[in-house]
Amino acid sequence: MRQSDVIVIGGGFAGLTAAAVAAKRGKTVTVLSKGVGTLTISGGTIDLLGCGSDGRPFASPAAGLALVDPDHPYSKIGKEAVQAAVDFFLDLCETAGFPYRGNLQEMKWIPTAAGTIKPTCLVPKTMDTAPLAETDMVYAVGFHCLKDYYPHIVAKNLQKLPGYDKTYHIAMVDPRFTAGRDVSALDIARWLDTESGRQDCIEQLRNTVKPGAVLLLPPVLGTRPDYQVLQELEQAVRCRIIETVALPPAMTGFRLRNLLLDHLKSAGVRIVEQAFVAKAIVENGRCLAVVTQNSDRERSYSAQAFILANGGFYGGGLLAEPGKAVEPIFHLPVKAPASQTQWSNPRLFSREQQPFAKIGIAVDSTLRPLAENGSLALENVYIAGRSLAGYDFCFEKSGNGVALASGYQAAMMV
Amino acid sequence: MEKASVVVIGGGATGVGILRDLAMRGVDVLLLEQRDLVNGSSSRYHGLLHSGGRYAVKDAAAGKECIEENTILRKIGKHCVEATEGFFIRLPEDDKAFEEKWVEGCRKVGIPAIPISPEEAWRLEPNLTRRIQSVYRVPDAAIDGFRMAWQNVASARRYGGRVRTYSEVVAIEQSNQQITGVKIKSFLTGAVETIACDFIVNAAGSWAGKIAGLAGIQVHVQPDRGTLLAFNHRLSSRVINRLRPASDGDIFVPHGSITILGTTSSPAESPEDNLPSTQEVLAMMKIGEATFENLGQYRLLRAFTGTRPLYSADPSAKGRGASRNFVILDHAKDNLTGFASIVGGKFTTYRLMAEKMSDLVCRYLKITTPCRTAEEPLVEDASPQLLAKARQYFPAYGTELAASRLGAERLEKVVNSMEQDPEKRQLVCECENVTLAEIETAAKDSTSYCLSDVRRKTRMGMGTCQGAFCIFRSVGAVDSQNLAWGQSTNDLLKEFLQGRWNGIRPILWGSVLREMELTRGIYEGMLNINGVIDNETK
Repeated sequence: MRQSDVIVIGGGFAGLTAAAVAAKRGKTVTVLSKGVGTLTISGGTIDLLGCGSDGRPFASPAAGLALVDPDHPYSKIGKEAVQAAVDFFLDLCETAGFPYRGNLQEMKWIPTAAGTIKPTCLVPKTMDTAPLAETDMVYAVGFHCLKDYYPHIVAKNLQKLPGYDKTYHIAMVDPRFTAGRDVSALDIARWLDTESGRQDCIEQLRNTVKPGAVLLLPPVLGTRPDYQVLQELEQAVRCRIIETVALPPAMTGFRLRNLLLDHLKSAGVRIVEQAFVAKAIVENGRCLAVVTQNSDRERSYSAQAFILANGGFYGGGLLAEPGKAVEPIFHLPVKAPASQTQWSNPRLFSREQQPFAKIGIAVDSTLRPLAENGSLALENVYIAGRSLAGYDFCFEKSGNGVALASGYQAAMMV
Repeated sequence: MEKASVVVIGGGATGVGILRDLAMRGVDVLLLEQRDLVNGSSSRYHGLLHSGGRYAVKDAAAGKECIEENTILRKIGKHCVEATEGFFIRLPEDDKAFEEKWVEGCRKVGIPAIPISPEEAWRLEPNLTRRIQSVYRVPDAAIDGFRMAWQNVASARRYGGRVRTYSEVVAIEQSNQQITGVKIKSFLTGAVETIACDFIVNAAGSWAGKIAGLAGIQVHVQPDRGTLLAFNHRLSSRVINRLRPASDGDIFVPHGSITILGTTSSPAESPEDNLPSTQEVLAMMKIGEATFENLGQYRLLRAFTGTRPLYSADPSAKGRGASRNFVILDHAKDNLTGFASIVGGKFTTYRLMAEKMSDLVCRYLKITTPCRTAEEPLVEDASPQLLAKARQYFPAYGTELAASRLGAERLEKVVNSMEQDPEKRQLVCECENVTLAEIETAAKDSTSYCLSDVRRKTRMGMGTCQGAFCIFRSVGAVDSQNLAWGQSTNDLLKEFLQGRWNGIRPILWGSVLREMELTRGIYEGMLNINGVIDNETK
């Protein structure tokens, strides 16, 4: 029997945050991780809260926090804990040598690959848009063969937006990969991780761009949580560089994940990979252990407390059947509209949240799951991240924000 | 003013068939379609090329037409047909007496129905239920409705036939009980114009009653809803039919890597009543489980709904009871010359329907050139030299796919583009093996106005991810070539994803919901194309 103080189920942003907080509080922590979480898909920006249920943006995440519904995870967590989670995160990144920028009092609007801007809160230095204020000259930079990124879309759409009415040019960099091969942002980031790749890229940029400009790049500035690629390129080309939000794989999320993994290793957290948690052993309202199933055998892991952070429908923490949603490990109640028609809106994109996005596990203010009658379902299980009920992260732009705050709060409760 | 000798209204299978037939006979013909080609019933169906077995008992004439046309289409449209063959299976709950009638019906009509043992059937189709009582092999096949239409158009264009899409007919013009033209309204710009013509063919399918009504003539077409389900697997290699009178949810048709199950039947409120419902899906799944017991474990792709244009001289006939045979109505009998409607029928017999209609038009125009649509292939085969060249640029199995999809002429254009610019070889849609060169070629066609139009021509976005990645690339591709039809890139993305959503929404569970979380996460969560904007700075 493997014994810990705290077991975290799920290796995404919520789970890794919870593990870091619990470890800092002196607990022995084991993370049971099935996959890699969605950081590598969604990216490393912490969207705290962009807009309300009417789709109108808040002046700042803090202003929004004061207005969320009682059922929203932020209401359960409380504004102070959200602030503490943000402080914890900023401190952790700073200490790791990869400082993030932003705070709850400021809404950051960052450019995307669609040429839109989106509201967020905490961003790596590579995504800070402050340099835009310093110049009128912008290059939208693309990479040959990177079929998930189109600099002309970025330039054409951005220039119509407030604060972005600049002179735009397009610059293309050739990473010299064999033609016909599918190239992703990860390939280019790995290319820029190498000394020769960086030199080649610098050489090409120098031939195209004028010093003093801002370069808008897809998120490709290396895979490691440091600003070495950014600094080297900025110095050599004598331009400021901003990474945009783009299609997966998301290098900004890779970096953040690497940062958290490095940190957890040094903090003595045990991470078990490819650990699919199939069931839980529960007695008298307390979870005694969870059982992982692998190709070879079952293993059980016991602990004083369990943090369930294994994602929503995408991550597998929730499963959906026609007209029904289930939580497969603890069989916690998941409230979902009985008629499938009520799960979603006829329009995919509208000024309304999608009901299915808000399906999840109802919790109390300690983030422990509630039974259908409103009483505590389990004494020592805490819910963090996407499986929480009551929020549509896509619509309100709270991706990674709820994960951070709930991961932090759950770990403070154990 | 634009002129044509003959105007064909309706860009479904029948309409494009008539366009090709008349063009091949040297007639100056223009086809008008209110949206995109095959946007109605001709793409919202099984994709089944009937052997005729389905009609052998109830409607021998229809059965005979099916087996004859089946043979012709395999020859002229071989790039659209996958010669899968089909099974008719009888389960314990199906009437044995019907089987006897059916065998006799097939014999009379000339449909080869070869009995095999259930054991042999399970060897060939291991997923089939073990409850089979009897099995017959018939020459059913799968047919791609989109491709069939496009290849008809490609053929018609070679003979001077013209096509205008997004052109809705709003008035039929006549003088002294004689057709003089049509008035059309652009769906995109709202602009109205008149096209002069001598003859109008009403091949508007479920909309045929509405078109005839514009001329003050009554044609009883009752649109009937049919919902279908696409699975992301090939459940069987053959078409599987239940050996019983035609009923809901009992035909499975394999297409490439997917299977289509259908269909339901209920009265439609209007021809546009084409959003599928969860209720229909679940009802069909339940029936389908009699044939494939573990049906619920397969991943769904989407649901879709079409309306059958059922014609009845008696307006009270409804649903499956109404005739599936086609009827040609020469409205000279209604005191309007130069106007005829073609109603009813089925996809399998579209060519025959087109031939009969074109015969009538040619008699009117005093043209004696005979119909040749049964002899000449829709598109030419790509030469071995062209295929060899294509293999240098396409992924391994993509060459044959593209050659079939494009036909020799367009394949050559695409291959040349790939030869000149290596980046054009990139796969925009990995699910369906669609290259950048092909997306650009389809976007440049005069009938393309949005990326859903490009999808119907190429199959881009029809695979597992339902466009989550390839739509962004397609937008990037058309925008960089200034082919974006004056639309914003965000609108292009939204239009396409909404189209996919219509078929996803009724089946929003399991892996389909997972996929949707990803799609929304990208476009709404990350890229904010839904447009939360900074109104502080305004």
